[in-house]
Amino acid sequence: MTELQKRIDDKGLTDVEVKSYMCFGACQEGPNIVLYPEKNWYAKVKVEDLDEITEHLAGGPHVQRLDTIDSSLKELIYQLLDTGVM
Amino acid sequence: MEGILFPHGVPEGRESLSAYRSRGGYEALGKALQASPKELIKIVSDAGLRGRGGAGFPTGKKWQFTREAPEQPRYLIVNGGEDEPGSKKDRVLLENLPHLVLEGAILGAYAIGATKIYLYINAQYDAATQSINDAIAEAKNAGYLGKNILGRGFDLDIEVTAAPHNYVAGEDTAVIEVIEGKKAWPRQKPPFPVTVGLFGKPTLVNNVETLANVAPIALRGADWYGKFGTTESSGTMIFSLNDDVNRPGVYELPFGTPLRYLIEECGGGMKNGKKIKAIMPAAPSSAFLPADKIDTPLDPNSMRDAGSALGCGVVRLIPKGTCIVEEVLKISEFFTAESCGQCPACRMETSTLTMMLKKVQAGQGGQPILEQFGKILAFNKGKGFCSLIGMPGPPIESALKLFPADFAAHLTTGNCPEN
Ligand SMILES: Cc1cc2nc3c(=O)[nH]c(=O)nc-3n(C[C@H](O)[C@H](O)[C@H](O)COP(=O)(O)O)c2cc1C
Ligand code: FES
Repeated sequence: MTELQKRIDDKGLTDVEVKSYMCFGACQEGPNIVLYPEKNWYAKVKVEDLDEITEHLAGGPHVQRLDTIDSSLKELIYQLLDTGVM
Repeated sequence: MEGILFPHGVPEGRESLSAYRSRGGYEALGKALQASPKELIKIVSDAGLRGRGGAGFPTGKKWQFTREAPEQPRYLIVNGGEDEPGSKKDRVLLENLPHLVLEGAILGAYAIGATKIYLYINAQYDAATQSINDAIAEAKNAGYLGKNILGRGFDLDIEVTAAPHNYVAGEDTAVIEVIEGKKAWPRQKPPFPVTVGLFGKPTLVNNVETLANVAPIALRGADWYGKFGTTESSGTMIFSLNDDVNRPGVYELPFGTPLRYLIEECGGGMKNGKKIKAIMPAAPSSAFLPADKIDTPLDPNSMRDAGSALGCGVVRLIPKGTCIVEEVLKISEFFTAESCGQCPACRMETSTLTMMLKKVQAGQGGQPILEQFGKILAFNKGKGFCSLIGMPGPPIESALKLFPADFAAHLTTGNCPEN
């Protein structure tokens, strides 16, 4: 998390907040990073992947290789986030 | 009508070997050993005995599966983990009728061809453990356990294991893990214990109460047993009542007895003359029934038709003036705490449900939050290694359906309508 925050600060991205979240039910696929509200879920993230994710946040391309989570789980969690439940 | 397990009411103290023998104790064993294990399995199947550990699986069938598993040796586990809040039937049986349980277990072991019995007993049950240990010593002395039982060439070893004090530790594969010296984490199924169980060998896991029914059935036959209960559910079941009634305790009743009889005649009605708001026939994991279902017969089919379940017979009454939101929150917190944590889906489900209920209780989230409960439950249905993941659903969904006003009031005012 500190690594990610550092990269975001380096990029000068001021409208991004990094925080830990409660269980999304995909710990076996973790570490997980969910970009919200834009709804992108990156799984099995390694430190080496953080640059690409930060790029994405800065307007770069979607990191397809890390987008492995089952779509029904994504949908459920996004809904919970949308209703403010999580 | 007389009972099967408690023919003379709930016993006051511990029944000695001689007292048990004077009412026909161990005669069933003598009789069964004269015949083949197959015949014993047939009697139990014909009687229609079903498991009393909660799932109601046909006992004869489970015995047959274990018997037919090719691997040797085979084991029998008596499940006395009993950590369901408010359940005390297994403790009473182990403590007061140890030989009834033991004879049933020995018969089960003979039926499946087991070489060893493991008695798995809640670690907090000191008196029950003592009582069973004494009974084992008595039975060994009398030739009912050990080598060459009753001179029929049947050898059977026995061991007592303490069950850790947590709910999941009573799940059959978690029981097996504990006996193997590991932590109480359920295994993924299949394979089922009947084929791959304790130490990888075929294993029969039966509840204490299930096995307590076996000696009476083996002695008196399936037809006699069928005189108790209903056509679909023969026999009796022990129900546990707790502090919400005037006379808490355990009560053995034939299947099909109206719920009202249990509550009013046995339990003496609700404490302090309170009125019933809801009934939970199988706490903590069954759906709530509204008070007007009090005449529902106590058998699995009738309970299912009424929208709930019978489980292992811990009947809870929710008095009028209780907030159902707070009740389901407590239940949800129980499952969150008891989830063993190895399955991500179960962890997510139980913790999210609890968090959502806390939000509802505090008046946050508005109506849309209520729609999320069903989605989370549906999403996680059938996931997880054991069935705990399916347990918070019935209480929560039935509460939402039966008492929407309680939820609505919390959401609009952040307060409880009942306070
Ligand atoms: C979370 C959980 C807890 C359980 N706890 C118990 C228990 O304490 N005692 C018990 O006999 N069965 C318990 N069971 C059921 C057992 O897995 C198993 O079905 C039962 O022991 C089989 O015995 P029966 O066929 O005689 O009912 C539990 C199941 C689950 C999912
Ligand atoms: S497997 Fe962990 S609670 Fe069921």
